[in-house]
Amino acid sequence: MFPGLESGILVKKEMTLPYLIRDLGLAGLTLQGLLTFVLLARGSSRRFPFFSAYVFLSFVAGIVGYSLQKRPIAYFYSYWFGEALGIALGLLVVYEIFRHLFTVHGALLRLATVTFKIALGVLLLAGLIVFFQSPSHTSSLAKAILAVEQATRIIEVGLLMILFICSAAFGLHWKQAEFGIALGLGFFVTLELLAVTLHHLVGLHGAELLNVMRIVALDCSLVIWLGYLLTPERATATLDVPKAQLEQWNQAVMELINR
Amino acid sequence: MITVIVIALALCAVVLFYMAVRSRRKQAVQSLRQVDLTAFHTLLDRDDELFLQRKLPRSKFVGLKRHRIRVTVRYVARIASNASAVLHASEAARLSPMPEVASTAAQVMDLAAQIRLQCLLALFKLSLEYAMPSLQLTPAMLVPKYQTLRENVRRLGDLQTQNSIPLANAI
Repeated sequence: MFPGLESGILVKKEMTLPYLIRDLGLAGLTLQGLLTFVLLARGSSRRFPFFSAYVFLSFVAGIVGYSLQKRPIAYFYSYWFGEALGIALGLLVVYEIFRHLFTVHGALLRLATVTFKIALGVLLLAGLIVFFQSPSHTSSLAKAILAVEQATRIIEVGLLMILFICSAAFGLHWKQAEFGIALGLGFFVTLELLAVTLHHLVGLHGAELLNVMRIVALDCSLVIWLGYLLTPERATATLDVPKAQLEQWNQAVMELINR
Repeated sequence: MITVIVIALALCAVVLFYMAVRSRRKQAVQSLRQVDLTAFHTLLDRDDELFLQRKLPRSKFVGLKRHRIRVTVRYVARIASNASAVLHASEAARLSPMPEVASTAAQVMDLAAQIRLQCLLALFKLSLEYAMPSLQLTPAMLVPKYQTLRENVRRLGDLQTQNSIPLANAI
């Protein structure tokens, strides 16, 4: 009825998404810069070297990506190089959290290590199956890279899940920073896995929306990391019980021992 | 098919992370709860169980045993929760500049971790017995370990000037 208006809305819609992606990307870069500053200022980079390297790399990769936007081939290679390095460092971050969580618990470390090794073996196998089952992994370099990314994200998500399950089963208490790092990474890699998996099922417009989801996921993770790193650790509550119950307890224990 | 499995894995991960956040909030207000060891010991008594098995019809015995297992599970969960709280409470003492305090705290943490493992084992055995009530699996050696933990926590409390008695006696 109003062709001019309709086309105007269409143009506006088409223009909105790239702007949204650009703005979200810029917000992400700002947050990455802030997180880098927080890590350096608080000396957390010494405590979490792999996580710090992961954040620095994402920050540098973001800046390089923006500067190479008008050179598609250079952008393609730099983007995928950054992704590969990011995935490798992501796995090292999981290892770092695992070490922080279990090293102090000698009795649990051995069992946790064995559990993790078994889980890693199973996840590697699952990753390989997913990679070889992917029908498009031999058709082009980009599709092969996506298949590799999907397989490695499965390993990353699986390891993080095992980490959370083990800590819950063993009744371990997470420190603020470690919990935040694991949670932020978990949220980000899970949405990355979803995006990579759904990529071949959606059209061009859907792919753009998935891109928005990936950038939003990264921004949310950065907010989670900043939030947990900046919030002070909660103090342990004082534990107390009434004296009468203590005597009852002592008696019960003594009776049991003397049997 | 693989796509569906991967999406399911991702959704499970999201649920797990959400539960972890909720559980962490709950942990912040976690406190020690006493365990009535006499009752716990009665629940684990195999002679009692054999007596009931001889005297009761099978269907009644199965119902009773399952009920007994459900109650035992609650006791084991309480011991596990206490061990976890001790684990957390001893972390600061492990970094103490006093070597004796640090080594006792390390021992306490080690024991608490072992008790957590034994609780897992006990829960596994109880699940098997719940599924197959005719089974009689040896109960986990929770009680002696728990007693040793209590003694070590008391020793740790004695070594530290502040907060000496409550934690030792609460478990």
